[in-house]
Amino acid sequence: MSADRQEPIEISERDLRSMTADLDEMHRSTLPVMKEALAEWAELHHELRSGVARVSPSRRGFLMGAGVALGGLALAACGSSSKSSTPAAASTSTPTSGTPTTGSGKLTGDLAVVALAASLENLAVQTYAGGISAATAGKLGTVPPAVVTFAQTAKSHHTQHAAAWNAVLAGANKPAVTGVDTTVKTAVVDPAFAKVKDVGGLAKLALQLENVAAATYLEAISVVSAPAGIKTAATIEPVELQHAAILFFVLGQYPVPDAFTKMDDARPLTDSIG
Amino acid sequence: MSVDRTGVDERAMGRLIEESHDRHRDAMRASRASLEELVEVGREATIGRDENDARASERQSLLAHGIGGGRALAAAGLGGALLALMARPAFADQTTDVQMLQTATSIEIVAIATYDAALKLPFMGSLPKVVQTFATTTKQQHTEHMQAFSAAVRALGGKAQTAPDPVLLGVVNKAKPGLTGPGALVELAITLEMGAAETYVAFVTTLSDKNARNTTASIMGVEAQHVAVLNAVKALVAAGHPEYLTLPPPLATLPAAAGSAGFPDSFYPYDAARPADEGAVK
Repeated sequence: MSADRQEPIEISERDLRSMTADLDEMHRSTLPVMKEALAEWAELHHELRSGVARVSPSRRGFLMGAGVALGGLALAACGSSSKSSTPAAASTSTPTSGTPTTGSGKLTGDLAVVALAASLENLAVQTYAGGISAATAGKLGTVPPAVVTFAQTAKSHHTQHAAAWNAVLAGANKPAVTGVDTTVKTAVVDPAFAKVKDVGGLAKLALQLENVAAATYLEAISVVSAPAGIKTAATIEPVELQHAAILFFVLGQYPVPDAFTKMDDARPLTDSIG
Repeated sequence: MSVDRTGVDERAMGRLIEESHDRHRDAMRASRASLEELVEVGREATIGRDENDARASERQSLLAHGIGGGRALAAAGLGGALLALMARPAFADQTTDVQMLQTATSIEIVAIATYDAALKLPFMGSLPKVVQTFATTTKQQHTEHMQAFSAAVRALGGKAQTAPDPVLLGVVNKAKPGLTGPGALVELAITLEMGAAETYVAFVTTLSDKNARNTTASIMGVEAQHVAVLNAVKALVAAGHPEYLTLPPPLATLPAAAGSAGFPDSFYPYDAARPADEGAVK
């Protein structure tokens, strides 16, 4: 990455080592928590395999995509499972089923939410990787060291989140989701990324993706039936929002703009995955 | 990206705060909608016994497999009360929810009082404007959280909690004499915000009432964002560069480590969650 290595780093190496050691220690301390949640998922997989036994009205709403506002994404519509490169006309209520398509077939119930979550994480990983590659190629101008660290760390987090969701699928004897949410990629990420010329542009795009992921998890907490699924979403959603807070700061905006997080940008299960 | 090394543009900050307030109002509307649903659920609770029984079964499963990080909580001596509460019969579930919401209220009361006191500390005026703004705005956000939790308690038929969480209050009182500079103050704020965020993550996984869970979930991420900002502030203060705390920040001169100092965990922990009944009305 072509961060300006000539810029003096105004922190001692000792401080840096200390902070990095602290980070590693904190990171390691969270892994057992995730492993515990995943173990619960594995125990519950026999329930998940058959989808959801009891479906609440709000859950049906989520599955059908009803009432899902696409807000900040400015995603005109992506109601169908079309992989067209052009977003369809505006609509927030056209989805017809709660069965996202993956490379391995259709999933239902909680597992459909898990697949959507994995695809959004994969998209975030792909986008951050693209940003890092663009920076390395010198396409974003001078990239400050702090931004380099942010992008690498956020990408690592999203990789781990995707792995966590895929572990859930593995526990239910389903193939991993290796694709991305192509609905968001086609309608939002690709056009926006083509216009990114500096760190600010990349930060804006990353902020959109972080907010979409957080909103989707917030909605998932509301509709997923398996307690371990709620726990998994609950331990990831705050991390995406922390990424968002720092991105707001990078963009010169107030870092905690809302007293309550919203579901407006949550993705429906009708998004295509590929 | 422009770099402002002289401090915060007051007009820009004013606009940002106004935008922030607009968003608060929007979010409050969403939260009120959730609370209205909560009231509806509260009314239906007595006839929704079948649903409660099913949920109780799930909660018994949670009890068997660990709650809110079960083993970690128990090992830390903080989970015993929660485990005991969860072992109660299904009919007591609503009470457990109310206790968690009362505890959440009491945590918010401590946070509000602490930020209020922080704003009156003699050195506060010398801190970067953005830090002062953060303290003021965060106090307001905690006030809204407290109101939301209080409304949720009322909606479920519980008694309003007006007292602070006794354990966290003890933490604040113990820290008070040492609050002579920004470092100690930021450490205390991180402790409180982490306590709130981790507690709400744990509560989200255990609340039986869907709307109580949604309300709590809509707040936990905001507390985590407070933690992220405070972690970043801590890193810059520790590096001897509080002057970098501006909007926009001087990106080019920020230490590399500042880029990840805000979010040390890839999965949000909850082993420091407060027990469900710690702040419950006795």
